[in-house]
Amino acid sequence: MAANYWASTQRRHWLFTREKLADIRDGLRERDKVTHSQFPLPDQRLLNIYFNQQLIKLGKRMSTRQQAIATAQVYLKRFYTKNEIRQTNPYLVLTTAFYLACKMEECPQHIRFVVGEARGLWPEFITHDVAKLGECEFALISEMSSQLIVHHPYRTLTELQTDLSLSSDEVALGWSVINDHYLTDLPLLHPPHVIGIMAIIIAVVFKPAHPGNFGNSAQSALAATMRDGGMNNLAYALSDKTGPGAPRIHKLVQWLAESDVDIKAVVECTQELLSLYEVWEQYSEKHCKELIGRMVKSKNLDK
Amino acid sequence: MAASPFASRSPSVAVTSPNTLRLKASGGTASKPTPMPDQELTEQLNAEVRQKYVKDKKLGEGTYAVVYLGHLRDDPSSFVAIKKIKVNAEYKDGLTMDAIREVKYLQELSHPNVIALHDVFSSKDQNLSLVLEFLPRGDLEMLIKDGDIQYGAADIKAWMGMLARGVWFCHENFVLHRDIKPNNLLVASDGEVKLADFGLARSFADPYLNMTHQVITRWYRPPELLYGARQYSGAVDVWSMGMVFAELLLRVPFVAGNTDLDQTSKICEAFGTPTEDNWPGVTQLPNYIPTDPAHRVPLQGRDFFLRQFPTAGPVGADLLMSMCALDPRKRSTAVQVLRHNWWTMDPQPTRNEDLPRKTGTKKMGEDLSRRGGEIDDGPFKNAARQLDFGAMK
Repeated sequence: MAANYWASTQRRHWLFTREKLADIRDGLRERDKVTHSQFPLPDQRLLNIYFNQQLIKLGKRMSTRQQAIATAQVYLKRFYTKNEIRQTNPYLVLTTAFYLACKMEECPQHIRFVVGEARGLWPEFITHDVAKLGECEFALISEMSSQLIVHHPYRTLTELQTDLSLSSDEVALGWSVINDHYLTDLPLLHPPHVIGIMAIIIAVVFKPAHPGNFGNSAQSALAATMRDGGMNNLAYALSDKTGPGAPRIHKLVQWLAESDVDIKAVVECTQELLSLYEVWEQYSEKHCKELIGRMVKSKNLDK
Repeated sequence: MAASPFASRSPSVAVTSPNTLRLKASGGTASKPTPMPDQELTEQLNAEVRQKYVKDKKLGEGTYAVVYLGHLRDDPSSFVAIKKIKVNAEYKDGLTMDAIREVKYLQELSHPNVIALHDVFSSKDQNLSLVLEFLPRGDLEMLIKDGDIQYGAADIKAWMGMLARGVWFCHENFVLHRDIKPNNLLVASDGEVKLADFGLARSFADPYLNMTHQVITRWYRPPELLYGARQYSGAVDVWSMGMVFAELLLRVPFVAGNTDLDQTSKICEAFGTPTEDNWPGVTQLPNYIPTDPAHRVPLQGRDFFLRQFPTAGPVGADLLMSMCALDPRKRSTAVQVLRHNWWTMDPQPTRNEDLPRKTGTKKMGEDLSRRGGEIDDGPFKNAARQLDFGAMK
């Protein structure tokens, strides 16, 4: 964390309304209708899942901090609000976002190492040429107007851990929920503290019956619970003052009421996440890979 | 902007100045949908930013950047400094951490005592240019070294006040500067002192996350870094501030070691030998050097500072002492420095317009093009450490 979120470039330049974001994307599509019909791509969220999995693969090979992966995902989102994905080689952009994010989060990796590992993963799409990545980094920085600091919701979670007496299971689940929100547009729509609080509520209210290791994503643990009860469950849990775990939830509700946090925004985030978990059921890595591969190859974007 | 991640873009629309002019002439910039789908909106914006400035003469060149004087195209009297970051021409290895850090922090920090970043643009040969506030009156090092310039306690108080406010602002925003020294403190045309060169800056690490100890130019480096501490705080900048304060008073660097080891022993001689008594935990630091009990210098008290720095006065000496505590936990924080009685005592700080002045545009060029941690003159010119990428955390 650096600088003040309220005065940050993130808040001033990279926070959109849903309508604005839709306009931007329509604009990109309008400018290149032909390519759009020629190269259909999966739902943005499915693509995000795919990119996220690729980033994790890359990160794992170099033992990177989670925060750098998160920053890289936000960079991808910012970049693709300015550029049509069908004009780019997503693998190169992905690798570059990762390389730059590592520098930004103070865990730098040597460019040769990054290129080497990326080639190991996607040999058809990444060339030996280190200069390519250097050039793309430059483009990435330009497209983001050199506004590179990203404020993440993880801090909200760790800071409120004591105040709200969250258990370690709840923190772990909340952490996974935050990891998942990078698969949606939420980082471009809401400030990090709103997302952090959304993660806490989900973790406390939908606490799964069998806590344990949630891995990187909360999807498997939460999808079923959330689908069954959905928002009713949430509303019920928040108003119920007698059921099991009620004092905890009561405390959370109390805290929320006293805080100035935008509850409507928090609920909106919860719904967004819920629909992500629904879309996730259709995810097929193979399908994404094929469509992207076909696009990159037939447009010669990897050259 | 370079078109690197994009595959097909005809050479005719590569971003060059004539093209931008054509765009402008046809009136097709931001308002209407652009007639050229290949011309990205951001490229236009970048070109517009670049067109806003005119580059004039070169002010200086260093290992890391070339600095030019420039001005707004619309207003020839409004000067800026354009810092063009050098890219390694032979093999492009991506932007250095210095460049990244500088852009990263200056984009977010805005304060009267921190150099302002007006714009960033890129040029077709893949260089990043930072448009910085133009600070024509040199730096504090020049004022300290120039024997023709007389200054007194009130002037020092004014300069130190501006420095302390700048450092406080960085710390308040969770940024460590990590290279505070007189030649990074530049003077604006109105006399305001501005903290420059954020090439070594970083945000406070999360607790228990390691950082490199290879930062801050040696003479201004605190003992915990010399002992290899990997977890530290704003106290490192406060020590550097104390060293600048001492240097302003004496007009020579107060502890100027030839090597890191020499620096440590000079600090011990000057301020006292760190022991478990005066600095609990010091012996556990990675590069701690055990001292011979027979040669231990006792921790210096108030009289020492009064004797060494008579011009500071008793209250000023007390402030300096609080900034030079060996144990970083006992050292003043930037806020505590600002709350010290010294500021409200007589003499009152000199008003900016009455401060001693010197003109030094060439110096700004040198200051901005240097790599962090380098001392640019004297016998240690080549002793600058290169930052080790791998060790940097």
